[in-house]
Amino acid sequence: MNFNLFAAEEQAIEKARKLGEALAVAAPDCAADFEELVEAFQRSTREQRRLVRVSDRLQAQLGAANQELERRRQEAETALAHLREAQEAIIQAEKLASLGALVAGVAHEINTPVGIAVSCASHLADATRELRRLSDDGTISRGDFARYLATAGDTATLILTNCQRAAQLITGFKQVAVDRASAERRRFNLSKTLQETLASLQPKLRPSGHTVTVLCPADVELDSFPGVLSQILANLVMNALTHAFPDGRAGRLTLAVELSDVNMVRLSFADDGVGMSEDNRLRVFEPFFTTRRGHGGTGLGLHIVHNLVVGALKGSITVDSAIGTGTRFVLLFPRQTPERD
Amino acid sequence: MDSLNIPGTGRTPTVAFDFATGHLRMSGESYPDDVATFFGPVFTALRAYLAESVLIPIQFDMELLYFNSSSAKVLMNIFQMLESVARVGRPVSVIWCYEDSDESMRELGEDFSEDLHHVAFSLRNVPVGSIG
Repeated sequence: MNFNLFAAEEQAIEKARKLGEALAVAAPDCAADFEELVEAFQRSTREQRRLVRVSDRLQAQLGAANQELERRRQEAETALAHLREAQEAIIQAEKLASLGALVAGVAHEINTPVGIAVSCASHLADATRELRRLSDDGTISRGDFARYLATAGDTATLILTNCQRAAQLITGFKQVAVDRASAERRRFNLSKTLQETLASLQPKLRPSGHTVTVLCPADVELDSFPGVLSQILANLVMNALTHAFPDGRAGRLTLAVELSDVNMVRLSFADDGVGMSEDNRLRVFEPFFTTRRGHGGTGLGLHIVHNLVVGALKGSITVDSAIGTGTRFVLLFPRQTPERD
Repeated sequence: MDSLNIPGTGRTPTVAFDFATGHLRMSGESYPDDVATFFGPVFTALRAYLAESVLIPIQFDMELLYFNSSSAKVLMNIFQMLESVARVGRPVSVIWCYEDSDESMRELGEDFSEDLHHVAFSLRNVPVGSIG
């Protein structure tokens, strides 16, 4: 089947040509002018064909450009999704690394009481061996026996208290570690969780001589995620240790909890360190923002804090700081974490 | 008469009409907001030039890579004006440039040349990116 877009025009031209032939006979004077008119109409038709082609070409180009645009948009969205996944993976890795640091801290902390218990036990064993020798020789005196009793009593007490201390630490750390790894939700005592977390951070805090003051009512119970809270506190402490006291001065860290109303916890964490510029303050929660790139800073610590406060605890976090005045983070979150946003 | 030189913009072509040597050139892209405002002065100058009785040969280089329908009609009108002076004996050549692999632009050139009988029309392919 033949389809001709300009069939009507061609028919008109054909008709005009026949009319021209008739006109050449009937009115020869008009023939030339009429021929010119037919010519003009023919040219106009040819121009119309060209314009249609130009227009079609433009439409095709537009279509191709739109497809290209769509392809690039999808590429950009895929790239963005990959970037988000990578960011999430890095954040998970960072969380695991901080769990690793926690384990190292635990090992260090438990080493002290266990070490004391071991040397006490060794001392007791020595004394017992010596007493046995005296007894076997039959030369044991009343004084020897009294000295032994004193030693045995002292060392037994020391062994007991240090083993109890180690057991207590292990219980505390176990809870922190399980909470962090599982992000389990449960009812817990806020003050106790804060203390346990700080205990696990002692190896980091002690060498620098910083003091940590905790002002928290003993009876505040939360129905929330203790592991999350522990991670938040650990990150805030590590952030303060890394940035607040570059001169090596022993600083003061203050952790204060109050109930802003029955259902909301207001937790502030302040240091009396060097503070930060307004520019840095505004960017402090941004992922990968760090003033210590190349010195081991990942720029994720406070970003994770922000994510955990907002995402897990359904709360908010703000930061006050200025050069020379120290830094204060204020967290506000519900005592009972809502089930949904 | 004086040359006509209009620098190109994103939407309008470069116009370089060197009337003294007869070398006329339009290049770039052409989709002006208002076709009359842009091409009005071009037509005025061209009409005046073609009305002169000197018979310097004319070479018209058509180097537009992208043009809208109005600009296409402008080109056809210019070609008709050139055809008229060629018919009465002035040597005129038109060179239609198209980029390599731009088949449809080459075919358009062939289409545009079908009414040119006295003008020497030729197609010239150029490497992509060499004009604009």
